[in-house]
This record gives sequence, structure tokens and C-alpha cells, in this order.
Amino acid sequence: MADPKQSLSGLSEDEAKEFHGIFVSSFLAFTAVAVVAHILVWMWRPWL
Amino acid sequence: MYRIWQIFDPRRTLVALFAFLFVLALLIHFILLSTARYNWLAGPAVGAAVPAQIAPLPPTVTQ
Repeated sequence: MADPKQSLSGLSEDEAKEFHGIFVSSFLAFTAVAVVAHILVWMWRPWL
Repeated sequence: MYRIWQIFDPRRTLVALFAFLFVLALLIHFILLSTARYNWLAGPAVGAAVPAQIAPLPPTVTQ
């Protein structure tokens, strides 16, 4: 039987925190690149 | 918020997210390539040439 303390994904709280930090920083980096790309495209040909 | 990774398996979530973003990016890029205005490979030449081709002849030619 599974340990009642074990999470559904098997990650401990510390592991989840660590992964979440990497995930959030990666998401912010991806968003920054996307924002820069949109600014460049808007300068090239605005769509509104 | 970090507790979401104790519910969803990070490996599967990342694979699904990357697959989704890749397909979405591919879709958006092909949609843009199919338009005249935002085709960055051949769009401007074709889009600019069409109005010139259908422009009326100058008056001196029609005399």
C-alpha cells in the first residue's frame, strides 16, 4: 500500500518547490522572448 | 502553488507542454506564412506588385 504521506506525483514538498522555481523562471524567460518577438513584429507590421 | 507538482507529474507535464507549444508555434507560423502581409519569405513582393498590376494606364497612353 502506498505511503499516505506520498503525493500523487511522488514528489516531496522540497522537490516540488525546487521544480516550481525552475519552472517559473523558465516560463518568465520564455515570456520575455515572446514579448520581444511581438515588439519586433509590431515594429515591422502592426496588426491593429 | 508549487504543490501542483505534487499532483501532476512534472515529466509528463513538461512533455505535454512542450508538445503543445511546438504544435501551436508551428500552426501560427504556417498561418502567418499563408498570409500576404505577414509572409516574411515572399509576402511583400507579391503584395506590393498586385496593386501596381491593376493600376489604370496613365492618360498619355490612352490617347
